[in-house]
Amino acid sequence: MAEVTLQGISKSFGATTALDDVTMTIPDGSFVVLLGPTGAGKTTTLRMVSGLDKPDRGRITIGGRDVTGLTPAQRDVAMVFQQYSLYPHLTVRQNLEFPLKSPILRTPQAEIDRKVGEVAEILQISHKLDNKATALSGGEMQRVSIGRALVRDPAVYLMDEPLSSLDAKLRSDLRIELKGIQANSGATLLYVTHDQIEAMTMATHVGVLDRGRLVQFGTPREIYQNPVSIYAASRLGQPRINILPADLFGSAPPGATHIGLRPEQIAQGEGQESVVQRVERLGDQTRLHLTFKAHDLITVTDAHTALKAGDIVRISPREPFYFAADGARVA
Amino acid sequence: MTYSPIDRAATKTPQGVARRIRGLSDRTIAWIFVSPTIFLLLAVNIFPLIWTIRLSFTDYRVNRPNNEVSWVGLQNYQRILSDPDIWNTMQATAHFLIWTIILQVLIGFTLAYLINMKFKGNDLWTTIIVFPMMLSPAVVGNFWTFLYQPQIGLFNYVVAFFTGADPASFSMIGDVNLAPWAIVIVDTWMWTPFVMLICLAGLRSIPDSIYEAAECDRASKWRQFWTITVPMALPFLMLAVLFRGIENFKMFDLVVQLTGGGPGNTTTLTSIDLKREAFERWRTGYSSAYAVILFVTVFGLASIYVKALNKVKQR
Repeated sequence: MAEVTLQGISKSFGATTALDDVTMTIPDGSFVVLLGPTGAGKTTTLRMVSGLDKPDRGRITIGGRDVTGLTPAQRDVAMVFQQYSLYPHLTVRQNLEFPLKSPILRTPQAEIDRKVGEVAEILQISHKLDNKATALSGGEMQRVSIGRALVRDPAVYLMDEPLSSLDAKLRSDLRIELKGIQANSGATLLYVTHDQIEAMTMATHVGVLDRGRLVQFGTPREIYQNPVSIYAASRLGQPRINILPADLFGSAPPGATHIGLRPEQIAQGEGQESVVQRVERLGDQTRLHLTFKAHDLITVTDAHTALKAGDIVRISPREPFYFAADGARVA
Repeated sequence: MTYSPIDRAATKTPQGVARRIRGLSDRTIAWIFVSPTIFLLLAVNIFPLIWTIRLSFTDYRVNRPNNEVSWVGLQNYQRILSDPDIWNTMQATAHFLIWTIILQVLIGFTLAYLINMKFKGNDLWTTIIVFPMMLSPAVVGNFWTFLYQPQIGLFNYVVAFFTGADPASFSMIGDVNLAPWAIVIVDTWMWTPFVMLICLAGLRSIPDSIYEAAECDRASKWRQFWTITVPMALPFLMLAVLFRGIENFKMFDLVVQLTGGGPGNTTTLTSIDLKREAFERWRTGYSSAYAVILFVTVFGLASIYVKALNKVKQR
């Protein structure tokens, strides 16, 4: 359990810049989710903290200790890899025991058995403990790979899209489990995903990465309610934020070229007319696809709405975001 | 309506033939395609094998075709298995086989491990190391006789350089104690690259991410080597041993060029001995029995080995 800081971390692979001057503090006991599309530098950041890659510039500390030059073993980090990376010739049990059997630790066998049993229980793989690691389904392999991290008690857990190959039900179960484990143990967890639901449900902090730069860091609420740019605003929220010309609804603040409207920032029943194109009923909510002055936008309405395609809905913006031409927030 | 060339060709096939071809089942057509190969296999592989087994129970001599051939039962087998000379050649073969495999696996795996560290220029080194394998065994045998020459040979010179002994004081292929090692050294020189290539394929099949996981799990390099590298490369290593084992059991050309089986019988491997029985002494029946014994030995050993290999692969 420790605070992790990254100070001015830069890293390039050949001509491509993977990370560009990233500075961030991961508070002790926090659950930090790095969010961004493929190639944004999420995994590279994780590998920097793990010590598998070394930064070109900058410092990394874990628990106040400068670890920039240290190996992963010296840093005491547990990592879950996206491609599972199980030891294929070992059984599930042996895979889970592997980190505990490190000679540095000298964990007694009874303690190992207890830990392995406990973790297998949480991850629902108890019945597979004596299977070969290669004789598992993708989802089971991923759970074993999460388990291999959870049996340990490291300074920081690092997870690279650990839930990506699980089915929807298991994913939502494990989201709750992971969050529970982290909250109870007070572990520091750095987590990479491009799934915003994972970010919203588990994170205490979200770091939004864009082409190697950390563009915003804060609680999920903060980023949702107060995004610094179109890019950050687009990372969270379903349906996505609507980005439209700034003057579409009337006057805009100086410098603004775009207006950003989340569904709840579109007031219905007042203002100007728009046409319903499609009504998408999702059960707990209903999405309205609207056309407003030749622009498409999506909003949410009452689950049991009587609206249908072709109807007219009056809409007006309510406390919208305004962005400049470069995407930065102006108001 | 227009006809494509295929349509026109099809209509030109005489009606009768077309009907007959259409009447064939897929199975029949498959047999028609496979039968030439099967016939060839039977003719050049299976028939000679059965014929050899038949001859092994006779006193047939191919250089005296007019002699009457008589059945001698198991007499040929009895004579071979109780002949101390043949046991000597078996021992020479075993010595050659075991030491070439041990040395080639140790050196080959070490080289592969080093090459796999992906240092600068490792591709160039791979090419250089693989070079001996590309030569003809006859050529290798021939030029190693020069290297082993006591007066002018480079090998003797190098040994002398490091040990201080007189280069002319020993002859690798003339000494009964050194000759068995001389052939081991040359075969190792020639075929270690092959073992290295297979080991390299094995090492490269291990994903980096597994080592990275082990790195995070705080496994030392030593532990990584024994719990990841060795078990995951083992099937490849065993395959290399199988190839080299079978090849060296049949070893002929290289050793004939190098020592001709001498001095005395110290490097007369079984295949050299067999060739002499069959085509120098012309004891066809006897050598057939000899061949059958060797065949059963190799086949038996290889089968046991392949079973073990499959078990390792399934782990």
